[in-house]
Amino acid sequence: MNRWWHRFFRTPGELEAMGVVGINMRNARFVLPNNPRRLYDLVDNKVRTKTLAEEREIAVPETYGIASSPAHVRYLDRLLGDHESFVIKPARGSGGKGVLVVSGREDGYFVKPSGARLSMIDVKHHLQNVLAGLFSLGGKRDVALIEYRVKASRVMTEISFQGAPDIRVVMLHGYPLMAMLRASTRQSDGRSNLHQGAIGIGVDIATGRTIHAVHHGRSVEQHPDLKVPLIGVEVPEWDRILDIAVTCHEMTGLGYLGVDLMVDEDRGPLMIEVNARPGLAIQLANGVGLLKRLEPAAERAKKYPHDERKDKIAFARKAFASRVVTA
Amino acid sequence: MASRIKLIAIVLVLTLLGGGLAAYKHVNLGIPLMVGKKPTEWLVEAKVSFIATGDPVTARLSLPTVAVDKEMGVDARSAGYSFMVEDDLGEYSAVWSADEKEGNQALYYRVRFPAKGVDTAGPIAHTGEAPQAEEPGLTGNLRAAADSVVRRAKETSSNPDTLFVGVFREITAIEGSQEIALLKRHYEEVANGQALTLLGIDLLNMAGVPARKAYAVRLDEIRGAQDPLMFVEYHDGVYWKVRDPDAATSTVDPREYFVWNRGGEALLDLGGGENSQVVFTTTRDVIPLDKLTDLRGSGLLVSTIFGLPASERQVFRYVVLIPIGAFVVVLLRNLVGIATLGTFMPVLLALALLEMDLQSGLIMFVVIVTAGLWFRFLLSRLNLLVVPRVAACVVIVTLLMMVLSVVSWHLGMRGGLRITLFPMIILAWTIERMSLIWEEEGKRSAILQVLGSMIVAYVAYFFMKDPQVRYWAFYFPELLLVLLAGIILLGRYTGYRLSELMRFKNFEEA
Repeated sequence: MNRWWHRFFRTPGELEAMGVVGINMRNARFVLPNNPRRLYDLVDNKVRTKTLAEEREIAVPETYGIASSPAHVRYLDRLLGDHESFVIKPARGSGGKGVLVVSGREDGYFVKPSGARLSMIDVKHHLQNVLAGLFSLGGKRDVALIEYRVKASRVMTEISFQGAPDIRVVMLHGYPLMAMLRASTRQSDGRSNLHQGAIGIGVDIATGRTIHAVHHGRSVEQHPDLKVPLIGVEVPEWDRILDIAVTCHEMTGLGYLGVDLMVDEDRGPLMIEVNARPGLAIQLANGVGLLKRLEPAAERAKKYPHDERKDKIAFARKAFASRVVTA
Repeated sequence: MASRIKLIAIVLVLTLLGGGLAAYKHVNLGIPLMVGKKPTEWLVEAKVSFIATGDPVTARLSLPTVAVDKEMGVDARSAGYSFMVEDDLGEYSAVWSADEKEGNQALYYRVRFPAKGVDTAGPIAHTGEAPQAEEPGLTGNLRAAADSVVRRAKETSSNPDTLFVGVFREITAIEGSQEIALLKRHYEEVANGQALTLLGIDLLNMAGVPARKAYAVRLDEIRGAQDPLMFVEYHDGVYWKVRDPDAATSTVDPREYFVWNRGGEALLDLGGGENSQVVFTTTRDVIPLDKLTDLRGSGLLVSTIFGLPASERQVFRYVVLIPIGAFVVVLLRNLVGIATLGTFMPVLLALALLEMDLQSGLIMFVVIVTAGLWFRFLLSRLNLLVVPRVAACVVIVTLLMMVLSVVSWHLGMRGGLRITLFPMIILAWTIERMSLIWEEEGKRSAILQVLGSMIVAYVAYFFMKDPQVRYWAFYFPELLLVLLAGIILLGRYTGYRLSELMRFKNFEEA
């Protein structure tokens, strides 16, 4: 059913038939009615999100320190202690803005995963930028989190070019709808934004196996740089991942949300951040229109308002299982 | 569903209210719906403001003779004052008087005339005896200096016209003579501001050509409130003529200037007040006066902006256009899906383009943003903190604008000079924001977003520039309620954006 115009666009009718959700629909029908404004700060401020998560005993990367004043920047050595690798991120950053990853130290320099070297002054300057609010929404003053750098599990690093892929689970009313992995490529330069050439890999909700992958909006089977197969990879500890995701819904109260996680070699799945307006690329990665899952989930939530966490997961695994048989 | 009914009700109410008011204005007050059927008119408004001291007030404003003689649409606004026009041998003045006023006062006098302009600077024959040149009464050094300037000017002239040119050429010469420097100093002590014009008048008198002050107003809508310009009126033996001392060789163009008063009287004579000031506002209008009084006399909702004096109304020229720009932004973002830098940056950019030529505006924007971005990257190597860096960016943008203005002037692009009105903070902020996106999301999205902003700004500019749209916005501002209804409807559009049809073109069901 390929038509000539599919090279350029798809008609609204075709997209509707496939259940593709556009930004206007996402905002008007799912984000606005389900996510009250007052809850946003819980997820827009990573310090608060982490505190909440720790109360719920959700595994998160260990916090080494929080830099909130110029004095903290001056005595950065003390904050860092003897940690060889760490991540600096703004508490109010979004979309990975302002995240600085240091993978090791070498004769007084900090080394980024790409191999680039930073001096102490460079790192301090980055911290000052974070504190001044350069990366925060609306340029408000911010604080910087210094935390454990996830040592991604081997299964994950094998399908990503430098930098560990993260896992995003999108949920409505606590029912996991769709999941994807975002793996970086040479082109995306360690970033996990699909616009910049990262690969989106759809993950089957039922089994945690990868089922479909897109690069620049087109289906791919292999990593363009690493030439490894992207389909049929099993995400480790899938049950824990789903459990953490649904707990994040419970702790924030947001109706429609995305949870980002990473799988650590030693510590298993760690929650990285919660997003109150997750994007729509996940549909491309899975090859499934979100509406096909949003509607059944909304219906189920209405019918069974007292579903427990395990009921929600069980329902999602059954209703949203991939129909593709993976090898 | 209840919310849908509410929505429809709100949209209906807004549309009916806006449309109804517009229809009422059209049918009952006869304001045309379409622009350009009537020739436009100039409206020149003098605003006298002062602080009354609590004593009886008398304000006397010299008026344009032509306006009163030809019965041009004159109109004086003066709440709480008695008003009359005094005729003193063909020289008119408006006289307001009132008992015991206190605090800030404002008096208005308006003149309307066809947009072609009236020749208020033409030669006037003198009635009665020939006027006599008045001796300015300079003494000592000053007298000697003035005499030698007059002598030089006389040597190179044959009649009062060329003498006028000669005198003002002496005065305005860049490498002025010592005599002029001396005289200048003296006049600046006596009169501030327009010392040179007063000096010229005295020199003409000494040379035997009767001369006196005249006041003119520049016909320029963009300027807003302006101070009166001092012109010179001189007698060439037969006629009184008016010339602009800054353009001594040419006669006054009636399309550019309106000579408010000639005859050498003081512009304003005030008793019972202090800190007095006269400012003028000029604006183009299409409604004839009789209709306008109808409109102004009607209720608050209908009269809207026209209840205000011209000087205040002028502000609304651009303000009423902003919602139209905002509507375009909503349309292009939510229906088409063009990414822009910030939500309303394109509207501000469109406003800036309205103030200058479109083409040079866009070129300037691109050049300044590109160059600014380059400097910004140089700056970022210095590891500056955020606020100083943005401030540094503002300085760079200012300097760039100065350089560009000079360069474009030398290239003969006059439009480029208007760049000084280009909002600098918007530019600096655009550069800062773009460089952030450049670093964080890559140059592709930075360039796409700037391009998107420019496209949206261009479309918004296109609408805001359209005479019909401007006409509606200004004369039927209640139509903005209909626009609001449209925006509310668009706010509930949950369909696909045009860009999404392309974004999902490869979408395949797995």
